Order: sequence, then structure tokens, then C-alpha cells
Amino acid sequence: MIDSILLWLTAILTAPFFSAVILKVKAFFAGKKGPPLLINYYTLIKLFKKGSVYSTSTTVMFKLGPVVSCATALTVLLFLPIAGHNPVFSFNGDVILILYLMGLGRFFTIAAAMDTASPFEGMGAAREAYFPIICEAAMFMILIFFFRMTGELSLSAYFSGTGSLALWQLAGAPLLFIVIAFFIILLTENSRVPVDDPATHLELTMIHEVMVLDHSGPDFALIELGSFCKLFFYAAITTQLMLPLDAGIPGLGLVVFFAGLIIVYMVVGAVESAIARYRMDKVPQFVLISFALAFFATIITLELIT
Amino acid sequence: MNQFFAALVLIVAGGFLSLVCARQQTFSKGIAVLLISAGCLWGLVYAMTQLLGAHNHFTTFQYLNIFALTCKIDGLSAFFLVVIFMVCLLAAIYSFHYMGHSLSPVKDAANYFFFGLLIASMALVVTAANMITFMLSWEIMSLSSFFLVIYNYHLPENRRAGYLYFVFSHVGAMFIFAGFGIIYKYTGNFGFGAMTALPETAKVWAFFLFFVGFGSKAGMFPFHVWLPHAHPAAPSHISAVMSGVMIKTGIYGILRIYMLLDLPAPVFGYFVVAAGVVSGILGVVYALGQTDIKRLLAYSSVENIGIILIGMGMGMVGVSSHNPLMAVLGFSGAVFHVLNHAMFKSLLFMGAGMVLHKTGTRSIDALGGLLKSMKITGMAFIIGSLAICGLPPFNGFAGEFFIYMGSFKGIGLDQAPFAMSIVAIVSLAVIGGLALACFTRVVGIVFQGEPRTKAAQNVKETGSTMLFSMGMLAAGCIIIGIFPRFFFTMCLTAVSALNLGYARIPVTPFELMTGHITFAAFVFLLVVLVVAGVRSFFYRNKPVFRSGTWGCGFTQPTVKMQYTGSSYAFDIIGFFRPAAPLTEYHPPVTGRFPQKTHYKSHVADIAERHMDSAVVRPVLYLFDKLRWIQHGDIHLYIGYILLAIILLLFFI
Repeated sequence: MIDSILLWLTAILTAPFFSAVILKVKAFFAGKKGPPLLINYYTLIKLFKKGSVYSTSTTVMFKLGPVVSCATALTVLLFLPIAGHNPVFSFNGDVILILYLMGLGRFFTIAAAMDTASPFEGMGAAREAYFPIICEAAMFMILIFFFRMTGELSLSAYFSGTGSLALWQLAGAPLLFIVIAFFIILLTENSRVPVDDPATHLELTMIHEVMVLDHSGPDFALIELGSFCKLFFYAAITTQLMLPLDAGIPGLGLVVFFAGLIIVYMVVGAVESAIARYRMDKVPQFVLISFALAFFATIITLELIT
Repeated sequence: MNQFFAALVLIVAGGFLSLVCARQQTFSKGIAVLLISAGCLWGLVYAMTQLLGAHNHFTTFQYLNIFALTCKIDGLSAFFLVVIFMVCLLAAIYSFHYMGHSLSPVKDAANYFFFGLLIASMALVVTAANMITFMLSWEIMSLSSFFLVIYNYHLPENRRAGYLYFVFSHVGAMFIFAGFGIIYKYTGNFGFGAMTALPETAKVWAFFLFFVGFGSKAGMFPFHVWLPHAHPAAPSHISAVMSGVMIKTGIYGILRIYMLLDLPAPVFGYFVVAAGVVSGILGVVYALGQTDIKRLLAYSSVENIGIILIGMGMGMVGVSSHNPLMAVLGFSGAVFHVLNHAMFKSLLFMGAGMVLHKTGTRSIDALGGLLKSMKITGMAFIIGSLAICGLPPFNGFAGEFFIYMGSFKGIGLDQAPFAMSIVAIVSLAVIGGLALACFTRVVGIVFQGEPRTKAAQNVKETGSTMLFSMGMLAAGCIIIGIFPRFFFTMCLTAVSALNLGYARIPVTPFELMTGHITFAAFVFLLVVLVVAGVRSFFYRNKPVFRSGTWGCGFTQPTVKMQYTGSSYAFDIIGFFRPAAPLTEYHPPVTGRFPQKTHYKSHVADIAERHMDSAVVRPVLYLFDKLRWIQHGDIHLYIGYILLAIILLLFFI
């Protein structure tokens, strides 16, 4: 229990660092030096030191938005097994809770954006409401796959101890599909290229960034921290899917996990450098690929497990 | 049982007294609200004790020495009684400040009269224990709600809505009659017992007839067409009762018939799941396309009926594949969602009623920024929206959680049950996502941002009884969401009355699940508190200013530039284009100095669009051809009667 809580704290504290890895990789591809690896900490400290400006259009929902979206990301991490260790909390059905908690975070982010009466933020909110619908279907398809394999509905059953190793032994090939499907969801849910461009300069083309335009100071810091944690959550699952950890030697497991995590973030950075953002109406097709892959993976397991 | 009838008498008497002393408007309203809510409270307490004690009661009256009117309260009836009385109680209280602004006091009094009848007849529908009692109360329910729908009869669209509702409810009743007819043919009496003895084919026919009949009352796609017309037409507390409770009598009917017919074949389960999936997804897609807030909520009822049907269907699949846990989870999840939907949907209708009452418009795109002027209504509406999206820690999540758990149990099965479970789970996920889009849209456009027209400016929320009802329902949504255990045990009692063939449903595994929901809610709320604490820590002694919204460099923004409800939903509707065709009208902009132009869009409901060509026109054509029978000659009419009697004598 103690080590689980320590790992949870580690996850929250290191999440900003890993996000900076993406920036570094992108800078490398662009032939630039790039920001320092601790850039996100500097940003967070700077934001926490500042005050805020609130729009006259806003209400209490605008202030609730950052709190709830950050709290959902932190709560979700509580249920995530890290480096093969048991999560802080776990129960049968916690994955459903996790997915719906993320929905709750999204509800409040959208509500905070709609609060500002800005047409740009409305536009971002409409997109934020649209794409995750397909993501959610794909996520539940992946859950069906996992349930078919393990008969359990909790993240700890899939990833703690030798959980993911057992998955690979049972159904290696379909699991590859799942890894790709999950990576697509990672890109979509965390507003990365090719779905959304966090570094663009035109508000019309943004999704997540445009929704938080009006937030400032500690409020904005909470939003940033929440999105770092959310990305960590998805990246950690991808890592543990790819690297079935043997929890025999605890220290080694941790090293392998964090090395894998860095690789996942680097791949995200490489994807961002290699391809451009899709046109908005192409995004649903991209996300549907994820659903299709998860669906086929599940169908294949019908043959494997009878 | 006597207490139950006394409560009903009180409710009907309230309505009747209101009609008698209609001239004294305030007194008439007061006495109606007082007696109806007292009756509902009495009924609620009585139903609650029956449910917790799991008693069965049975009463029979002789009517005209021909028919026996029989009422029976078992777990399932008691559960629905709790839902009916609870929502009607709050709706009656709400109506005190909502009603009484019309110029015709008799109209209001008549409204209360039919409201009392509606409550009593709904209570009788769920307790009826033979066909005569059931159909009698069913018809009273349909007719009294018809009169409630045409409350504002001077508007032609309301008369049309009432007519549509009348036709649908009676065609639905015809199907139910036909179903009972089949059963009567085999059993030879009007009782509800002995239906299990029916031959298989008769059971299949009866089930599908009942399914169509009850489905049209419940608002199942494609028989939902009356719903989005009737709900906006009725006064808001009536919409709350109709959408929150009355359509659930259709669900009750399907459950009761399923129980009585004892249908083990899996195909019924698949059929119900498929109907649920179609209703659920299309309901919420159409809800997204609406610009009238009450129509939107009506379509969202279609969606929630879909969720309930998915739960029931998974329960039926569980029964047919001998998976007790899946069966109990599916049925109890569905029944739980009945309770939850009754709460948040009536809350939302009451909120919409407040908006309509104060601004005078139901059009979403004319509103905006109401949260600033209507704080309690706004917060209650947001709580209702969070609950209807199925988000934790609100009651919608608790209900959907059990349906998910039940559906996942089906993933472990093979072939058809497996496929149905996949369909159910993925559809629930899609419905959840769409509902989130739909209700962030309502909240964002109506309650947030800036007022889009004059109607939404300078509004105040008044009417303490209206606020009280909404506050109670919002509190209920949170309490059930955090502590679902007690309420879920109620659902288990209701499900055990279904006689699924499991001697006793053990409570322990389900208490474990509800415990998990409570635990997770506490963990989450604790984290929220901590984050809020951190936030306020960092805001100590900080400069905080208020200024205009950042316009991305544009300095002359107007309220008309805000995103509208139609633009918010545009992309999502586009994704579902074949099922939700979008028609746009806008004259093209021409010339160097273009004149004013306009834009209008409309999302069509395919069931409504095809109803005309597929049902109405063929029926009209047929009856047009039969017009020669109607010639106006009274002798021949008497001849028809004689002929009919002689023909009937051959059969009896």
C-alpha cells in the first residue's frame, strides 16, 4: 500500500517531465535545441505564482472546471497499476468508473469553456464533445477484449504482477492490434497531432488549447497538471502493454517501466514531427481505425479461447 | 391495501375539489396541491413499507357483478408505486407556483382534476392484477394525460400534439388488447395467472403484440413519434410526470408480461436489446438536433428508455443462458435506471419549466447566461445533466454501472449472447458520449455564456415551491449516486418479484458493488477537496481581476457571435447523417453589397418522416376505398348492427 502511494506521487511529480520529452524530440526533428527537460515545472511554478483574470461572462463553473478536471486525472491515477505494482485502490469494475470519471472531467472542461461566451471556445468544446464519443466506443471495445482474456474488470487484473505477460502468452497477435488501437486513443484523448496540435498558433484549428484560452494563473496550472497526468495514465498503460514486466526484481521492473515510458513519449514526439494534423472531418475516420482494430482483436480471440 | 386506496381517493378528491371551487383561483389551486401531495406522501410511505417488508397484498372488488376488479401489490408494483408517488409529490408541489397565471381558472382546475386522475390511474396500472382492471386504468391514464397535453388548446400545434398522442396511445392500447385477447383465448379467464400454460407460438405472438403496445407508451423507437410533440405541449410539471413516470408504465408492462409469460427463449432478449440500442442511439442523436429545450428532453427520454431496454434485454439474455448473476444485474440495473431517470428527467423538465416560465421561450438559441441570474435553477439543472450523462458520483452512473456489469457478464458467453453483449456495451458507451455532448450543449448554450436575446436578460427566479422541488430532486440525484446501496436493495426486491427462478437473490455480492461505488465517490470527492484546497492556497493574497473574454485579438465581440446550439451539434449530427438527415435553408449571398440573409436548419426524425408515407397514406387510402359503407342512411346502419350480431352468434 505504501509503495503504491509512493508510486502514485511519483507519477504525479514526474508527469510534467515526461511531457517535456515530447518537446525535446520535436525540437530534435526540427533541428533545434529545444526547451530544457524541466520546462513544464518552470511553467507550473510560474503559473502558481501568478494571479488570475476572470472574464465578466464567467460563473462558478469556470472555476470548478480546472479543479474537477485535475481531480479526475489524479483519481484515475489512483487506480492505475504502475510498473507492475498494485494500484492504490482497485475493485471489480473500476475501469468503467475510470472511463466515466474522465467523462466527468470532460464535462467540466467543456462547461468551463462554454462559460466564457467566446465563439472559439465554443468551437473547441464542440470538437471536444465529438471525438471522445468514438474514443469511448473504442475504449470499451478494448475492455471487452481484456474481459474476454481475463474475466476481470479492473486495471490491476490486467497490468499488476504478471498480468500483461499472461496476456501476451495467451494472445500475442491480437494484443498488437490493441497496442496500436490504444496508442490512437492516447493521441486523440490527449489532443496530440494528428488529431489536435497543441503548438498551433491559430485558435480556429485547436481543440483542447482553445478551450482553456481564458484560464490563467493557478487555475491554468491545475489544467496543465491534469493534462500531464492524463497523458501519463495513457502512456503508462501503453508501456505496460508493450513491456510485460516480470515483478521478480522490484528495482529492475521500475527501471524498465520508466525506460519504456520514455520510449512511448518519444514515439508520440516522433509521430508529431513526422505527420501533420488531419483535417477536422478526417479525425473521426482516424479514431474509428482504433475501434476497428480493437474489434478485430476481440474477434480473433474467439478462436483462441473457447 | 386500504391505505393505498385511501391515498388514491385523497388524490382524486383533491383534483375534484379544485374543479368544484374553480372560481376561487388560489383556493382551488391550494386545495388541489395540498390534497394531491398529501395523498402522494401517504402512498409513498405505504409503498415504501410494502417494498421494504416485501409483503404481497391482494384485493378484489366486484363490479356490476360481472367483472372483478383486482389489485395486487408485490415487490415490482411497490417499486413502481414508490417512483410514481415520489415524482408526482414533487411535481404537485412544483405546480403551486408554476400554475395559476392563466386567465381561465377553470382551465387550471381541470388541469388539477386530470392530474389527480392521472396519478391514481398510474398507481392502479402498476397494481392491476387482471386484464379488466389493467385496461380500465390504462385507458383512464391515457385519456387523462391526453387532456393534460391539450392544456393550452388554443395553440394549433398543441391540438395537433394532443391528437397525435391520442392516436398513438390508442393504437398502442389496441395492440395490448390484442395481446390480452390471445391470452384470453387460451386461459378463458381475465386473471393474470396461468399464462405460462400458453403454447409457444401464442406466447411469441402475445409478447410481440405487448411489446409494440407497451413500447409505444414507453416511447421506444419507432413508436416514439408522439413523445417530442406531447411533452413540450403539456405544462412543465405534467411533462415531468409524463416523461419521468408515465412512460415507465410501458416498461412496467413489458416486465410484468415477461414475468407472467415466462419466456425462456433467447430471441426475446436479443429483440429487446436491439430495440433498446436503436432507441438509445437515435434518441440521443435527435435530442442533439433539437432547438426546443423541452423537445430535446423528450428525445432524451427515448434515449433513456433505450438504456432501460438494454438492461432488461441483457437480463433476459442472462435468464435464457442460465447466468443468474447477469440476469439479476441486467434487470436490477434497468429497474434502478427507471428510478434514476424518473428523478433526473423530472428535475430537468422542472428546470426547463422554470426557464420557460421566466423567459417565455423554449428555444435554446434565444437563451444564454441564465446561470448568473438563476443560480439555484442553473445548479439543479447542471446536477440533472451530470446525472443523465451517467457521470459519477451521480445516480445515473450507479444505474448504468450495473447494466455494464451485467452486459460484461455476457462477454464470457459464446456466439449470440456474446455478440449481443458487445452491441450492448458499445452502444452504452456511444450513448454515454452522445448524452455528454447533448447536455453540455444545453447547459453551455442555455445557462452559460451571455444572453443571446432580450428574453434571457434580467430574469429572476421566483417561486419557492418550484425551487424546493428541484432542490429535493437534485439532492436525491447526489444521495443515490453516493449511497446507492439502500436504493439498489429496493431494486433487488422488485426484481425478485419477477420470479426468475432463483429462489432468493443473495444481497451480499451486490452490496459489495454498491460499496465500491460509495467508496469511489468518497475517494473522488476527497481528491476534489484537496485540489480545491490547493487552489485556494495558491489564490491567497493574489491579484484577481475581472475583464472581458479574450477575443483572440478581436475587440468588438457581440453576443451573436457565440457558438449556437445548432453549430455545436452540427458535426455530430453529420456523423449520423443517414439516420438524422439535416436540411438547411439559406438564400445565397449575392452581389457586392449583399442584403440581409438568414439561415435555418432542421434535423428530421426518420420515423416521423416515413410515418406519413409508410403508415398514414396507406391507411387513408384503404379507408377512402371503404367510404361507401358510410352513406348516411340510418336503416342500413341498423342493418349493419343486426348483421354484426348475427355474425357474432356464429362464433360464440
